[in-house]
Amino acid sequence: MMRKPIGPGQFLATLNRREFLKGSTAAAVGAAAAPALWTLPAHAQQNVLTLLSWPGYAAPEVVGPFEQATGVKIVGKEYTGGDNMLALLNSSPPGTFDLVLSDAEYLHMLREADLIQKLEPADFPMDDFWPEFQKFSGFWADNDMYAIMTSFGYLGMTYNADKLTREEMESYKIMWDPKVEKKVGMYDWYLPPMLCLSLYDGNKPPYDITDEQFAKLKETLFSLKPQVVGIGAFAGAFSMLSQGEAWIMPGTGAWLTLLLKKDGVPVDDIVPEEGGLQWSEGMAIAKATSKPELALKFLQYMASPEGQMRVAIKPAYSGSIPSKAGWKLLGEQHPDWSKLLLHELDKPNVMDEYAKGKIFIRDLPKQQSLEEWNQAFTEFKNL
Amino acid sequence: MTVRTAEAIVERVGVRSRVRIGPFALFWALPMVVWQLLFFVAPLCFLVVMTFWIVQNFRLTPAFDFQNWREMLGAGYFWQIYFRTFVYGLLAAATASLIAFPCSYMLAFRASFSLRWFSVFLLITPFFTSYLVRTYSWKVVLTGNGIVNAGLGWLDLGPFELVNNLFGTMVGYLTLTLPLVLLLQLFSLAYVDRNLVEAAHNLGCGALRTVFLVVIPSARVGLVLAATFAFILSFGDYVSPSLLGGSKPPTLSVLIVDVVKSGANWPDASVVAVVMIVTLLTVSFAALIFAYGGRGRG
Amino acid sequence: MTPGRIAVWLLWSYVAAVFLFIMAPIATSFVVSFNVDRFPTLPLGGFSSRWYEEIGRDPMLPPAFRNTIQAGLTVSVIATFLGFAAAYTDYRYRFFGKPVYLTLALLPPTIPVVILGLAMLIFLSRIHLFGTLAAVVISHVVVCLPFAMALIRLRLSQMDPSLEAAAWNLGATQWRAFREVILPFTLPAILSALFITMAVSFDEYAIAWFVSGFEETLPVRILAMFQGQVSPRINAIGSIVFTITMTLVIMAQALLLLRRPSRPAPLRRQEGVS
Repeated sequence: MMRKPIGPGQFLATLNRREFLKGSTAAAVGAAAAPALWTLPAHAQQNVLTLLSWPGYAAPEVVGPFEQATGVKIVGKEYTGGDNMLALLNSSPPGTFDLVLSDAEYLHMLREADLIQKLEPADFPMDDFWPEFQKFSGFWADNDMYAIMTSFGYLGMTYNADKLTREEMESYKIMWDPKVEKKVGMYDWYLPPMLCLSLYDGNKPPYDITDEQFAKLKETLFSLKPQVVGIGAFAGAFSMLSQGEAWIMPGTGAWLTLLLKKDGVPVDDIVPEEGGLQWSEGMAIAKATSKPELALKFLQYMASPEGQMRVAIKPAYSGSIPSKAGWKLLGEQHPDWSKLLLHELDKPNVMDEYAKGKIFIRDLPKQQSLEEWNQAFTEFKNL
Repeated sequence: MTVRTAEAIVERVGVRSRVRIGPFALFWALPMVVWQLLFFVAPLCFLVVMTFWIVQNFRLTPAFDFQNWREMLGAGYFWQIYFRTFVYGLLAAATASLIAFPCSYMLAFRASFSLRWFSVFLLITPFFTSYLVRTYSWKVVLTGNGIVNAGLGWLDLGPFELVNNLFGTMVGYLTLTLPLVLLLQLFSLAYVDRNLVEAAHNLGCGALRTVFLVVIPSARVGLVLAATFAFILSFGDYVSPSLLGGSKPPTLSVLIVDVVKSGANWPDASVVAVVMIVTLLTVSFAALIFAYGGRGRG
Repeated sequence: MTPGRIAVWLLWSYVAAVFLFIMAPIATSFVVSFNVDRFPTLPLGGFSSRWYEEIGRDPMLPPAFRNTIQAGLTVSVIATFLGFAAAYTDYRYRFFGKPVYLTLALLPPTIPVVILGLAMLIFLSRIHLFGTLAAVVISHVVVCLPFAMALIRLRLSQMDPSLEAAAWNLGATQWRAFREVILPFTLPAILSALFITMAVSFDEYAIAWFVSGFEETLPVRILAMFQGQVSPRINAIGSIVFTITMTLVIMAQALLLLRRPSRPAPLRRQEGVS
């Protein structure tokens, strides 16, 4: 019998299969389980779109109408940090993911790493969007569009409304008040808190600062240390605020307080006088997808008023939506949500903060490297 | 005298080495090697190689550059964090071992057969209830207005700061390690030859002296192994120092996660990982030598 | 009461306290899972089964649960077998390169899981296993094997080495001696190793997140819930899993008690000292 030379990958794969069968026949239960271990991966199936996103985007509440209308199933993989997302997209077999949802800063990384496709603005109802978001810098580069914006929100400070008044919260200065000694919680990602402190230092925009200003920012950050009770992300941040461990959290906003408020926890969020940040999420098509047309269809759904409304009310976490048409539909079908998200067109709403010029996009540092900022935050933790 | 009998028995293990290599020997010796070579050594090598890579346009790019090593080990905070993590690990291993020992002693020597088995099973169940969930639950118990402080407040004590500090981190480490340490200790104690213990009693040895002169030396391998596992697990744990310790001050695992955040900087994180691996290997070897090495003494 | 009896009584209270510490987070989690509030604070809100209803509606949980059980069972069998083989080899043979051999078996838990996850991801996707449950099984076996080996090696080190030799002298083949002497003696450790390895696999999420692709396991789902919409759903899942394992434990306990009189279990030798 002729033996065809096989590559090391195939060789390992066959060997593994053999090993594997050996192991599973050892136990009846294991053997019974074996066949299911070799099902076709999701992305290889027809009529399935795979989506890499923050938790909650593949939920039926969001994708339901699309699935019903097209018969296409959305299979989601949820990540819990942009860097893990980047690594997974980079290192999994090309074509594993058709769509990827990303924060604006990471979208730029995805673009630079050549992992996502260019989009055609004409494919989307851009006129439905608020003018501010029709050519939003977070998702555009060199006059090319790379993602359709799905959701956004502001970051300033969140605070315990039982312990602090809104007037006190008008400036970041409150964080150094003796009253909140050991009561300041820090969000565990260098960018949001440091950019807020940069705004406190008077830097506008807060990410484009000279080395001198950066040195000053580090001083500001380090001087906050005695006030800090703990540093935590997600569950840690939620519990610090709800348990009353922390009374103030810079670099967080409505996405954190909306869930807490709904549960009766006395918290609120504010964009202080010095200004605040904007987080922005957008969805892009992976470069290696084998189903670009289908993926585009889903992106169009996400940009449609229906899709936008669904994003606004998704149970996982709350965010504002950039489509004015989406606001309108939300007001008609879910007035309670419309009120909660300050999306009522005829009343003071979230877009007012824009008009005041207080909002800066959360962006990566321009004059220093990411490492320098990140190291400063690590030093801060280690003080 | 009795100790010598025990060691004499163990000493005879050496006799067993004079067995020729045949199918029987290979059947037992090979599977682990094959499996680990196939599925572990390759990723491990990759991990080491990655420490020399660079990140270009947020993509891992093969290179041979000592930059990551220089940067990471040159950072002032690195060694501070390193020694802190080391001390935390030792503290966790010592605390877990000391807390567990009286407990496993009672279960091994004083409990009935069925109680012993029940406790073994009971100790395994926490593993099935997600460690994340268990750690998160501690927050409800330990925070400023948690159950413990409410109880203490009722006694006109406190409130005490029980989370976002070393205490919180240690509670987390114990949540992670105590069941395993108890299990390993329990097993090693349960296997101690009862005749030795009885002999010690008959020779007029008090309970406490018997524990120190007979039980602990006989169960030494298991006790050291348990402490070593506790050290390894605590040294590398991310959940406790971040969730219960409030990430301040950070440990090496917190540092790894932080470093990655500089635009997917996995090579720098791998440097930290390799330093951790080398440390843990050294400690494990030292522990093994300590566990087995003293055997020859009379 | 004599001082000795007081000491014993104190020690038993101590044992209870240690078990209380171990069970406290699980009990808390149980209580929280039936609490109506999303963010539990004292005093607790009202009783509610809403979190159980929510997880009942989650379409991603049943497949995750199935995957976890499949992976856990397969991992426990393979890891225990490999761990046993390695422990027995270490116990019986002395050979060149043994420290390397042992290192190979014991190294995995020393590697930070986040990094091991990425390394496994890159490796497994090169051999076309990314995104399969097999990838989870392979990675978990690597991580679980040392626990199995340690438990079984501990048991073997307590064995009277002359027993197996005696069997050979009586004319038994190596296999026969193994079956008649080694296997019964190590059985309790093998059982514990099966449980422990299954449990470790059951709780591992960091590596599983990287390599599982869309074949997610329960801990990966819990992680997503933990990082996104934080809610007592994670407590509800934990409580359900705990109830299932406790039921199994009690059943196993009952079985052991039933079997005990007919066949002396290996641990029995140590009784009667107290």
